[in-house]
Amino acid sequence: MNYPFWDVPLIGSGWVIGIIAIIHVMVSHFAVGGGFYLPMAEAKALREGREDWLRALRDHARFFIILTGVFGAMSGVGIWFAIGLAHPESTSTLIHNFVFGWAIEWVFFIVELTAAAVYYYGWDKLPRRTHLIVGWIYAFCAWMSLVIINGILTFMLTPGASWLGAAGTGQEAAYFWQAFFNPTYFPSLVLRTLVCISMAGVYALITASRIDPLAEPQLKDELIRWSAKWLLPSFILVPFCFFWYLASVPESQRALLKLGISTIGQGTFTQVTRAATVVVMTSATILAFVYFSAWRNSRHFNLGRALCVLFLAFAATASAEHSREMLRKPFVIGEHMYSNGIRKQEVERFNREGYLTNSMWLKTDAPPVSLRRVAFGQPVEPETAANLARGELMFRGQCLACHTVNGYRPIARLLQGRDRQAIMAFLKTLHENKPDSPYRSYMPPLVGTADEIEALADYLDAILNHNVKRRSDHLAQADRATF
Amino acid sequence: MDASWSPKPDVTRPRSLATVIYEWVDERLGLEEILALARKKTVPDHKYSFWYYWGGLSLFFFFVQVFSGVLLLVYYRPGPEAYESVRQITYDIQFGWLIRSAHSWSANLMVFAVFVHMFSVYFMKAYRKPREFGWWSGMALLALTLLFGFSGYLLPMDDLAYFATKVGLEIPAALPLVGTFLTDIVRGGPEVSETTIQRFFALHVVILPLIYLPILAFHLWLVQKHGNALPPSEEAKPESERRTIPFFPDFFSLDLGMWLIALNVLSILASLYPWQLGPQADPLAPAPVGIHPEWYFMSQFQVLKVFGRWFPGAAGEALGISLFTLAIVIWAAIPLFDTRTAGGRRAQIATYFGYFALLGMIVFSIWGYLDLK
Repeated sequence: MNYPFWDVPLIGSGWVIGIIAIIHVMVSHFAVGGGFYLPMAEAKALREGREDWLRALRDHARFFIILTGVFGAMSGVGIWFAIGLAHPESTSTLIHNFVFGWAIEWVFFIVELTAAAVYYYGWDKLPRRTHLIVGWIYAFCAWMSLVIINGILTFMLTPGASWLGAAGTGQEAAYFWQAFFNPTYFPSLVLRTLVCISMAGVYALITASRIDPLAEPQLKDELIRWSAKWLLPSFILVPFCFFWYLASVPESQRALLKLGISTIGQGTFTQVTRAATVVVMTSATILAFVYFSAWRNSRHFNLGRALCVLFLAFAATASAEHSREMLRKPFVIGEHMYSNGIRKQEVERFNREGYLTNSMWLKTDAPPVSLRRVAFGQPVEPETAANLARGELMFRGQCLACHTVNGYRPIARLLQGRDRQAIMAFLKTLHENKPDSPYRSYMPPLVGTADEIEALADYLDAILNHNVKRRSDHLAQADRATF
Repeated sequence: MDASWSPKPDVTRPRSLATVIYEWVDERLGLEEILALARKKTVPDHKYSFWYYWGGLSLFFFFVQVFSGVLLLVYYRPGPEAYESVRQITYDIQFGWLIRSAHSWSANLMVFAVFVHMFSVYFMKAYRKPREFGWWSGMALLALTLLFGFSGYLLPMDDLAYFATKVGLEIPAALPLVGTFLTDIVRGGPEVSETTIQRFFALHVVILPLIYLPILAFHLWLVQKHGNALPPSEEAKPESERRTIPFFPDFFSLDLGMWLIALNVLSILASLYPWQLGPQADPLAPAPVGIHPEWYFMSQFQVLKVFGRWFPGAAGEALGISLFTLAIVIWAAIPLFDTRTAGGRRAQIATYFGYFALLGMIVFSIWGYLDLK
């Protein structure tokens, strides 16, 4: 509650994380899978005495080190900045629990980067056996960084009963291992490892597509076919691992997947189903595309077709990561912290004492900046200004994590056509959060005292209907909702 | 069956079940003969080869239309219940929204693919001798594709469909002499109503397919007969410098790869941007603000609008329609004008006319959308 709120117009703060994270996943999974690809391909080339393979692999290693070492590392840091700004509460919780996990990951990461640099720059300088060992050191460290970050990522979906039992006691860190090896840890690790292996093939096809088929037809044939095989393990095993993963997810979260089967509804509630449909389609067809375009026509496999494979991999990855994030709804840390940073344990206290009681961001001496355009020209009483400022802070604290005013999941469209009374009725539904509420499975309960919720309704009425009324007008209304 | 194409049985190894089945079918249907024909056929391989895939992509989207259309047919009820049945498909029936969304998106993608195919054929000068009938049958297929799109758009009978159809019918109604008569027949009266849905439904699922399929078969037969045309820059090269790839299995598998990409593009659009259903059409309600036809009719719509502004009254509309008709006649007659295989003045004029037509479509479409605001 005491962290500042990050207002990103149009796309919302969540998509800032999403865009950086999806690109990072595309690169980081290549960093792990490619780590195995390079020494395995090099070992094969050395065993068979293929200098042409070694030459092509060196080109691939350059592409690899630039993409993973520069872009992967930068986007990784970008995620840190983005999550710190968009979700400070959950980031704080993760740091408090997993600080040593991250410390170990960074050790592996430093060794990984160093090994990658030595591997590429030592290509013709190191003895071949030593060079190969460096490649394997890289592969091991890259995979270990996945082994660790996977524990933290899966914790956010399924923290596990032990950790949840200790949550809020100050003893959470004592349950580090239980939280780390949480119920979805192993299926997720196997799934991600398989995806990493596929990514190695996908990116290797890009490099191989650049080989001139007229100058080196045999090399192009062999490298494309060998790289294409890297997509096979995930194609066969991912469906099984996916069901294993789903079986480890709580029933309440699995239900989110089914929401969009029969209806597109408002669109927002069915995002998991719709994104999962894309995952199924792209994952089911990527191997067929590689078979027809690369395996059967290796000499015609040009950069355009390689980019098509990358496009399919990107669509699958982006949709899968989006589905995984959405599967946590309404939580950011399963059964512990809601997606707006409010802890489940805090709900009753906030309802009793007020959500804004201890906020240091409340400025009640002027109308909120976002309303100055609306209020321009109208005399705004100090009491009204203070009320709207409280409403805006409620909006920023409890809605902004997932909604924008006019962009992604826009409040303006979702509440379109509602007057203040209808807005208030809707807020009441969110506040009561009854078991049969259609919003309960997706949205956190709205917390706060009756006055704070009235202030939020006034604020929404002002931004949606440009209706800046005096606070006393509402208080006088007989239909005022009671809580 | 030609003995030279029959597979030689390996007597030293037992034959697999698949081989036995294949041989059984081959003996009766002559599969090897078809395969031999496909293997003999070649496709030119050059820097413009990418454009050869668009005809196949149009065909792929047509297959999707047929498949998803048949599934929709199971639940769709034309007439007074049209809106309610589409509402059920969209909101109640499992994955009904996905099938409807795929049908609508693939219709748009099909129109797009057909346009790209037409312009690529045009600029590669693939309408020249002996491919004139390919050009004309292709134009007929394009016209039918647009009619498929127009007739299908009304079927959900939501407010957007209703008013867009009403606006769209202003284009044929502006035809001199026969316009009103023809439009009334199609509409089943002076206004768009439930009768119009019945007529559009019959047009969409029976009449148009009955006309479309034989023309499509004719078009594909011509492609098979004459093969892919070379663009002028390739034709200028000596025979020894031209490259080809076998149609089967090489080009065929590359084509299948493109179809898979198309399927994924369709799946992404249909899933992430599902086709919405607006409120039920109310003929007495005012038309929604900025009502307009689908994007592929936008340029025609805008031309009519502009001429209507410049020349108020029936004269403007008649002039706009006449201009259209003239452009279509010239477009269709281009194989008779640009006949010589070597470059020349007529070839140049035809190319410039193509640029002019393409630019005109783009500019008027954009102008149309800007004009809505």
